[in-house]
Amino acid sequence: MALIELKNINYCYSLGTAFEKHALRDVSMAVDAGESVGLIGHTGSGKSTLIRHFNGLLRPNSGQVLYQGNDLWKKPNEIRSIRFQIGLVFQYPETQIFEETVGKDIAYGPRNMGLDQEEINARIRESLQCVGLDKSYLERNPFRLSGGEMRRVAIAGVLAMRPKVLILDEPAAGLDPEGRHALFDALHQYRRKSGAAVVLVSHSMEDIADFVDRVVVLDQGSVALDGPVASIFAQAEKLVSIGLDIPQSTKVLLGLKAKGYSVKTAAYTVEQAERELLCFLKEADRP
Amino acid sequence: MTRDLTVGQFIPGHSLMHRLDPRTKLMLTFLFIIQVFLTKSALSLLFLLLLLWIYIVCAQVPAQKVFRAVRPIIPVIIVTALLNIFYVSGHVLWHYAFLRITDQGLFTGFTLLVRLITLIAGCSLITYTTSLNALASGLEQLLAPLKRLHFPVNELSMTLSITLRFLPTLAEELDRIIEAQKARGAQFGTGTILNRIRAFFPVILPLFMSAFRRAFELTNAIECRCYHGGEGRTKLHPLKLRRLDYAAVIFFLAAFAMTLIFNGIRQPF
Ligand SMILES: Nc1ncnc2c1ncn2[C@@H]1O[C@H](COP(=O)(O)OP(=O)(O)O)[C@@H](O)[C@H]1O
Ligand SMILES: [Mg+2]
Repeated sequence: MALIELKNINYCYSLGTAFEKHALRDVSMAVDAGESVGLIGHTGSGKSTLIRHFNGLLRPNSGQVLYQGNDLWKKPNEIRSIRFQIGLVFQYPETQIFEETVGKDIAYGPRNMGLDQEEINARIRESLQCVGLDKSYLERNPFRLSGGEMRRVAIAGVLAMRPKVLILDEPAAGLDPEGRHALFDALHQYRRKSGAAVVLVSHSMEDIADFVDRVVVLDQGSVALDGPVASIFAQAEKLVSIGLDIPQSTKVLLGLKAKGYSVKTAAYTVEQAERELLCFLKEADRP
Repeated sequence: MTRDLTVGQFIPGHSLMHRLDPRTKLMLTFLFIIQVFLTKSALSLLFLLLLLWIYIVCAQVPAQKVFRAVRPIIPVIIVTALLNIFYVSGHVLWHYAFLRITDQGLFTGFTLLVRLITLIAGCSLITYTTSLNALASGLEQLLAPLKRLHFPVNELSMTLSITLRFLPTLAEELDRIIEAQKARGAQFGTGTILNRIRAFFPVILPLFMSAFRRAFELTNAIECRCYHGGEGRTKLHPLKLRRLDYAAVIFFLAAFAMTLIFNGIRQPF
């Protein structure tokens, strides 16, 4: 059984006014325990709208949201407790920081869960370490940190709830390469430690190609593609027609293939592409 | 949710009413209000209803929307009308203890009811057919003569347009922050009063931070463009009165005159 399952979700913004906007059309998808899924789509395709359904922030106009097989909206008063298990990191999460020290801000989620002080302290330290910041940050003013550090503090605030599913909306947007690396390291570490499922939202394939196992592609509010990473990247033309990019390394291989070289194109990280090319060159050297 | 509040009631469209200059609409709304208050006789009351119907048709706004604007104040209207029914003297039609209903009272109460509903419905049309920005810019032009009295019209209108421009942005931001804190288990509107107030800090503080950040960015952007207030500034979309506006003014003035005439004609009441 899937951990979270969305069934035939429809959602309209400003329903019944002149500004009505049908943002999601008949979307169905599932996330299994421990899985890592990439949610990709052009800007405005409904990614952010979709993930707000996972933890009951938006109520679908029709369709069902199932968490561990239970319909979320059958018991609306229990949604809050489910939110502690489905951690949602919004786009630019650093803008929601409000406490005067890093430690206090991270404590907000655990405190809302009603944990005791000792447990809260343990979780603060753990999640801070997970995002690669040392203890000296605990007492620092979050508003004096760099953009990348602030974002990692905000993410630590969600990790401290130890969610079973971690959903991140464009977590790397606007970060420099160094900040991006630190961020993805943190995500890798959280997954390895907790075995949580991760849903990574992005409009860039490159960002998430080496992080996820499965990709769901949204186009204008409906699911266009859903499958393992390799099989999605194999459909480069379709992706391009939706307005999405494919990783540079895949592009190189596709270009070679178009020129008549017999390379395999199912590579989407630089390492895989390198291996593929070396393999091809060795074969070409042979008489 | 907040976004629905802040776009106002404006319904984009191309009706006659939509195409009028905002200045014309502001002035005519004012004229219409006076007209409603001057409406006294049964005949002019009927005429007023006819006018309202014509205006609604010209605005191409669904009638049910117009009456939705009236709905919230219906209790007030009814109470006012009832008071009039019981307090105005005239031929007594019915009485019980100290309560008396007279023919004059009945008429006055009913007139008041119709006039107030017409007033609100009529005024709602301008908000349905004019965007907030157009209203602000119309108001600025109408107030322009006050510059002679050293009234800071330009500054006021700049502030007004910036406020209007950023209301939806801040509302969106507010929605976003509320959602983000809810995702971390925030609860609003439960518990003791102290707890309820405390629950809003995680929302208000980030909202202020972001408002200040935007204000600084905007200040820089404005200074980089060498903005220096109103003197000699021209508009991208200057307001221009067209034939339609003159026609509308003539129509409204004629209607106004008709009301006065209908008031004067001898009638049963
Ligand atoms: N609060 C809102 N009110 C009305 N329309 C919205 C709102 N938020 C998003 N939309 C619209 O819904 C569509 C999907 O938006 P979104 O889910 O933010 O897309 P993405 O995250 O993929 O860029 C867009 O067309 C957007 O304009
Ligand atoms: Mg988005």
